[in-house]
Amino acid sequence: MDLGIFIQILIWGLFAGCIYILLAIGLNLIFGVMKVVNFAHGELLMIGAYAAFWIYSYSRTNPYLAVPLAMLLMALLGVAIERLGFRPIMGTGKLNEIFLSLGLIYLFQNLVAYLWTTNSRSIRSPYGDVAIPIGSIKLPLDYFIIIVITVVFLLAFHLFMRRTILGRAMRGTSQNREAAALMGINVERMDMLSFALGSALAGAAGSLWLISGQLVTPYTGAIPAIKAFAIIIIGGLGSIPGAIIAGLTLGIAENVVPLLMQAVVKLFGISMSFTAWKDTIAFFILIIVLVIRPTGIFGEKGE
Amino acid sequence: MKLDPASLNAWFGARKSLKAWLGLSALILAVLLPLIAGNNPYLLTVLILMLIFIIYSSAWNLLAISGQGSLGHAAFFGIGGYASAILASRLGLSALATILVGGLFATVIGVLIGLTCIRLRAWFLAMVTFGFAIIVHTITAELSWLTGGWDGIPAKRLISVTIPNYLLYEYYLLLLIAMAVIVIIYRLVRSKMGLALEAIRENELEAKVMGIDVTRYKLTAFAISAFFTGVAGALEIHHFGYITPEVYGIDISFWPIIYCISGGLFTLEGPIVGTIFITLLDAGLKSFGLTYERLILIGLILILEVIFLPRGIVSLPRKLKARLSPGHMPR
Repeated sequence: MDLGIFIQILIWGLFAGCIYILLAIGLNLIFGVMKVVNFAHGELLMIGAYAAFWIYSYSRTNPYLAVPLAMLLMALLGVAIERLGFRPIMGTGKLNEIFLSLGLIYLFQNLVAYLWTTNSRSIRSPYGDVAIPIGSIKLPLDYFIIIVITVVFLLAFHLFMRRTILGRAMRGTSQNREAAALMGINVERMDMLSFALGSALAGAAGSLWLISGQLVTPYTGAIPAIKAFAIIIIGGLGSIPGAIIAGLTLGIAENVVPLLMQAVVKLFGISMSFTAWKDTIAFFILIIVLVIRPTGIFGEKGE
Repeated sequence: MKLDPASLNAWFGARKSLKAWLGLSALILAVLLPLIAGNNPYLLTVLILMLIFIIYSSAWNLLAISGQGSLGHAAFFGIGGYASAILASRLGLSALATILVGGLFATVIGVLIGLTCIRLRAWFLAMVTFGFAIIVHTITAELSWLTGGWDGIPAKRLISVTIPNYLLYEYYLLLLIAMAVIVIIYRLVRSKMGLALEAIRENELEAKVMGIDVTRYKLTAFAISAFFTGVAGALEIHHFGYITPEVYGIDISFWPIIYCISGGLFTLEGPIVGTIFITLLDAGLKSFGLTYERLILIGLILILEVIFLPRGIVSLPRKLKARLSPGHMPR
């Protein structure tokens, strides 16, 4: 295979990995603090992308300026979901969380489809024509910007969790809820905050996804969210470094493995495309990992 | 059975006989409905699909009784459908025979995936089953020499279209099959196995301590659930007369959950009541030309039921009675 194409695919995988990481970190945070799983997390990505789209369409400014606004809107939506949906069912069993998320998925997907039709939306970034030449190939500048933004978000998130009192309170809540409450931490406020932060990160993922030139429809969120779940299960529930490693691995594997398979099959004289298998790679990895270790690679013993 | 007054009393207990009467009258209504409504093909199609989904959601519910919430039953639905359609067309067998083979095929695959799933916690199980459904979907779309790819393959009809009033025969045939499935599931739930499954759902460790073979029962529940789901899938495609990967998309995994939650999870009558309620609501709203609105409404119903009525519609009479009775204590 041509080395240039390989690097291009690698960068594309890195970019996809960034989107997965943003989703997975948010999910992991919510899980850590509240011990609930929101399967509708992908709908926040989708609505975040729509928010960025409408902000950009009406203001016609640089689309990157829509990112913080979309994040703020998603944080508010996240708080509403936590207050109205997840808080009333906390402690009523894990199946109920799955069912509630399912209702949210139906609600949000069809509400968006009803309001704004199922036509796919996309925008053109002002840097869409700018490409950075690396050797013989050219890579779009937007991918680099998005990768840098993700790194900045991750650093800010890390510093927030480690260095601020609020971040420490959240970590304390995720380690031991009762003990944290006894230490005077308002654990219910931590729930709300974790949902707000997680949703804002999903909003960032959605708006960056849109800016990179991807098409957005009401059904965009489902598959990335489920993959984000696979990532946090593979990387270990509650483990942020695990999520980053698993997210990057998945982003690259998804783009490289189909090409490798194609090359391998070609050795046997069969020409066959494996691009349709891209979405299944996450689940193959997930099933293999869980067959070997039912708690995930870095998984904790508890829960 | 002992014939002391206490057990007789229990046997003829007021609630039980009320339930039996309701069930019997529902059955009589189901038998008479096509005769009252006349030979209306639209209504018959809605009712046929309703019966198929009653089988499907009862099968999903059986797995849920053991505490395993699957998000990927579309896989078994599709596997049953494809196995049956391919066998019926390649070997020229009758659709009625291949339906069972489709169910058995789904059982074999179900046991294989179940071997992984029974060790997993609720979310992990949901993820693995969901991912499995996506993998099966991709396989059937890609193996075009066998499955016809996205174009799909034709499937024999249950009752040949050339017979006059074939939909009516199909309806009664399905009513018989659905009743048989419900009776079998009823016997299972009321047996020692049903008790074991409920014990496992409530507390797996305690069940193990009591001497219940958790692995065996969970796997058995998986196998039986996959079997009836495969049968339901085969019935649906033999009703449609064709199968494509689109017939069992992601949402097919979600419908039995919606039916069971709205009717009443973990109960025998819940999936039946829920399927009837949601199907009628869905068909009613569809006839008004509402598309997204009805799905928004169904999503809202699901959310509100999980929060306010977690035991579904079947728990409503008891809940109302408790609220109306004097000395009611809010929970």
